[in-house]
Amino acid sequence: MGQVFSFTNIFGKLWGINKDIRILILGLDGAGKTTILYRLQMGEVVTTKPTIGFNVETLKYKNLTLNIWDLGGQTSIRPYWRCYYSNTAAVIFVVDSTDKDRIAIASKELHMMLKEEELLDSALLVFANKQDQPGAMTAAEVSQALNLTDLKDRSWSIVASSAIKGEGLTEGLDWLMDVIKDEQL
Amino acid sequence: MSLEKKIRNFLQGPRKGETFELKNGLVSQYKHERKDAIQRVIQAMTVGKDVSALFPDVLKNIATYDIEQKKLVYLYLMNYAKTHPELCILAVNTFVQDTEDPNPLIRALAIRTMGCIRVSKMVDYMEIPLSRTLSDDNPYVRKTAALCVAKLFDLNPEMCIEYGFLENLKKLINDSNPMVVANALSALYEIRDMKEHIPGFEDLDVFTTNETVIKNLLLCLNECTEWGRITILTTLNDYQTDNQEELIHIIERIVPQLQHVNPSVVLSSIKAIIHHLDALRNQEMKESILRKLSAPLVSLVSNSIPEAQYVGLKNIRIILEKYPTVLSKELRVFFIKYSDPLYLKLEKLEIMIRLSNDLNVKLLLGELKEYAMEFEPSLVSKAIKCIGSVAIKLQSCTVKSVNLLCTLIDQRGGDLIINESLGVLINILRRYPGKNDLITLIVPVISNHINGIEDNNDTLSGYIWCLGEYPKYFQNTETLENLTLFVDDFLNYDSTIQLNLLNTIVKINLTNNNTYSNLLQKVLELATQGCENADVRDKAYIYWRLLSSDDTASQQKIISHKLPPINTTISSFNPNVLESLIDELSTVSSVYHKPASTFIDKNAYTRPSGASIPGSSKVKGSSNGGKGGIEDLTTMAKQEIINNAKNENLLDFDDDETDDTSSFNANGGSNGGRTSVLDDLNDLFAAIPQQQQEQQKQQPLNIPKGSNSDILSLFDQQPASSSNKPANKQSGNVNNDLLDLF
Repeated sequence: MGQVFSFTNIFGKLWGINKDIRILILGLDGAGKTTILYRLQMGEVVTTKPTIGFNVETLKYKNLTLNIWDLGGQTSIRPYWRCYYSNTAAVIFVVDSTDKDRIAIASKELHMMLKEEELLDSALLVFANKQDQPGAMTAAEVSQALNLTDLKDRSWSIVASSAIKGEGLTEGLDWLMDVIKDEQL
Repeated sequence: MSLEKKIRNFLQGPRKGETFELKNGLVSQYKHERKDAIQRVIQAMTVGKDVSALFPDVLKNIATYDIEQKKLVYLYLMNYAKTHPELCILAVNTFVQDTEDPNPLIRALAIRTMGCIRVSKMVDYMEIPLSRTLSDDNPYVRKTAALCVAKLFDLNPEMCIEYGFLENLKKLINDSNPMVVANALSALYEIRDMKEHIPGFEDLDVFTTNETVIKNLLLCLNECTEWGRITILTTLNDYQTDNQEELIHIIERIVPQLQHVNPSVVLSSIKAIIHHLDALRNQEMKESILRKLSAPLVSLVSNSIPEAQYVGLKNIRIILEKYPTVLSKELRVFFIKYSDPLYLKLEKLEIMIRLSNDLNVKLLLGELKEYAMEFEPSLVSKAIKCIGSVAIKLQSCTVKSVNLLCTLIDQRGGDLIINESLGVLINILRRYPGKNDLITLIVPVISNHINGIEDNNDTLSGYIWCLGEYPKYFQNTETLENLTLFVDDFLNYDSTIQLNLLNTIVKINLTNNNTYSNLLQKVLELATQGCENADVRDKAYIYWRLLSSDDTASQQKIISHKLPPINTTISSFNPNVLESLIDELSTVSSVYHKPASTFIDKNAYTRPSGASIPGSSKVKGSSNGGKGGIEDLTTMAKQEIINNAKNENLLDFDDDETDDTSSFNANGGSNGGRTSVLDDLNDLFAAIPQQQQEQQKQQPLNIPKGSNSDILSLFDQQPASSSNKPANKQSGNVNNDLLDLF
C-alpha cells in the first residue's frame, strides 16, 4: 500500500503522467485487428492466427502511453467485448473493405457496441482496412455501409488503411490522439 | 473529465464495498494500482473469501510482462476457472503466446495453468500449445507438459489419443533428461489408472516396459529428485523378468538408493529389491542382498519424526514376516526410548517379539521387564503379553519368563500386572500341557492371586479352565468355594466364562466321582433355563444328554478330551494377504496392514456412463444459447454475489454501527453497491428481459425473510405499494445481517 501513496504516484496522478490511455481495437474476425496492433507496436507485419481472447500492447505515442487492446472478433467472443468497455478512451473499429457480404453484420455490431453506456464518451476511429486488395470499397463506401453519418454526439472519423503496407495507420492514430488530448485536458 | 461524466458519476450514487474497490483497481489506468489490486484479490482468495465475481476483470490483467503479476493471475484463474467456464476462452490467446515466450519459466507456467483449468472449452485450444511444449528444448517445460497430458486425458481421452499426445508422452520415457522421464512415467501411471474407469478405454495400451526402457530408467535413477526416484522405482518394481543377468543388474542399480535420505525412497527401493529377489535363483547372492537390507531398514526407524518411524515399523513387520531373519542382529535398535509416543512403543514391542531368538532372549526379557514396570497401562499390559509370547515362542526361556512374571507380581503387584500376568501364565500352561514343573510353579501363583480378579474375562475364564484341567493341583476347598461363587453369579457373566464354567464343572464332576453333583445340577438348570445365549444353552443340553446316558466310556472320552496346545500368540498374516501386502509396501495399505482392495471402493472412481466432464454441463447450457441455461447461470452467479455482499456488510459493520440511527441509510448505500454488481452481471447475460431480471433479483433477497419474519411482518402490514416492497426486503436483509452478528 505504501507504494500507492508515494510522491511520484500522487504527482503522476495529478499531471496525468504514467496514466495509460485505453484503446480497444474491435471488428469482425479476419478484419486485420491483430495485424494493425503489431504494425503499430513493432512497425512490422507479423503472421497472425485467429485471436481467441485478446492481445494487449503498450505503445508510447506522442508522449502518451497507449494501452491498446485487440479483442478477438469471432462470433463466440464478441459477447465478451463488453467486459472491456470500462475506462475506454477510444475505439478503433476495423472493417475488411473487401468483405461486402458481412459489412452489414459489421454495421450491426458497431451500432450495438456504441449504444453501450460505458462507451458514450469514447471516440471512434474506423479503419477501412485491406485497401491494398483489389475490389476493396473506398472509405466513403464503407462509411455509408456502416451508417456512420447517423452518429451524433460523438467524435468519429474513417480512414482508409492497409495494415500490410502500413498506409493510413499513423494518420488515423494522429487524429485519435488529437481528440483524446482535447478530452483529457 | 467532462462535466457530463462527472454528473453521471454523481448520479450513480455512492458505491462501496471491497469488491467494488477491487474491481476499480483492476481496471485502473495505472499499472501499479492494477498490480496492487491483483495482490489484494489473491490475498482475499487465500483467506477464503469468494472473489469469483471479479473474474473478467482479473482476466484482463493476464497479458503482462510482469512475471509476478502473471503468476498471480494464473493462480486466480486456476482457482476460479470453473465459476466462469465460458469466459476462460478469453485467456486462450495469452496462453498460446506464453507458450512461445523466450522465458522457459513462463512457457512452463502457461502450459501448467492451461492444464489446471479444467474446463472443456479450454481443451479445444490445447492442441498447439501442448504439442509445442512437449517438444520444447527446455527440460523444465517438457516435464511440466508431460503432466499436462494426464490432465488432458482426464478431460478428453479421445482428443488425447487422436492428436498423438499419448504417443508423444511415451516417447518422453526415452528423454535425455531424467526429470522428464520421471514425470512422463508418473503421467502414464495416472493415465493407466484413469482408463480403467472410462468406458471404451479399458483396453488402451498405455505403456509397456521392456529391457531398453528399463535400462534407460536405471540410468536416470541416480539423477532424479526424490519424487522421480520413487516413480522410477515403482516402475522397476512392476517390471517382471526372468533373465538372471538383467535381474542382477537391476538390483545392483537399486542398491545405492538404499542410502537415500528420504525414507520413502529407501522403502520403495527395498520394495523393488524384495520383489526381484523372488526371481533370483542364486541362493548365495540372495542371502547377501538380504543382508544389505538390514541397514536401510534400521535407518527407517532412526528417523527423527515419530510418524515416519511408525510407517517404517509397520512396513518392517510385513517384511519380517516374509524374511524373518533379515533383522535378527538388530534387536537393540527397536528398544523403546522414554520419549517415544505410545503408538511407537507398542509397535516396537511387536517387532521385538518377532525378532526374539535363543541368543538374544536374555537381553529382551530384561528389557521387557523394564517396560512392565513403566507407568503407561497399555504399555505395561503389552509388555507382559510380550513376555508371554516370547515364553511361548522359545521353549528355552519358558521357566525364566514364568519366574520373571512371578517376580513382577510379587514385587510390583497392582491389579493390572496381576491381571495380565495370570492370563499370560495360563496361556503358557496351554503351550506346554502336562509339564509337572511348570504346573507346580504356576498354579499356586494363580490360586494365590485370583481373588483380586473381577473384571478380566480372559483371565477368569482361563482360571476356570485351569480348575477343570488340573484339579489335583488346587486345594479341594478352594475349588469348591470359588466354583460355588461363580455358579451363584452365573447369569451375570459373559458367555465365554459361562461356557468355560459349564465345561469345568462337568469335567471336574466326572473326575471326582460326582462330588460336585449339586453344583452340576444347578449350573445345568441355570444354563438351560435362565441363559439368553443359545450356545451356552445348547452346550448345557448336550452335556445333560450325554451325562444322562449310561455310556461312561464315551463320556470320559468326550469330556476329558484335551485341547490342542497353542503354538504361538504372535499374530501373522494369511499367506495371500502377506503376498499382496509385500506388493503394496510403502503405501497406505502397508500401514493399515490390509490390502488396498479391502478399503478402497473399486467403483469410487468410475464415471457414471454418459456423464460428462465436470463443468461442461454449464458450458453446454450457455453455448446452446438456451435461455434456461443462461438463466440458471445468472441465478447461480447472483446467489454467489449476494452471499459475497453479505460478507462485505459484516466486514463493513464498523462504519454502520457508528451511525446506528441512520443505519438504514448506510446500508441502503451498500445495498446500492450490491444491486449495481447485480446490474453488471445482468449486463453480461443481457438476453433476459428486464422484468424477469427484476424478479430474479428479488428472489434471492427474499431468502432471509423467514429468519426475522416478525420484523418483516411489521413492514408487510403497511399498505405496500409495489415500489417500496423491494426496500422492505432489503431492510429485512439488513436486519438479518445485524442478527447474524450477535
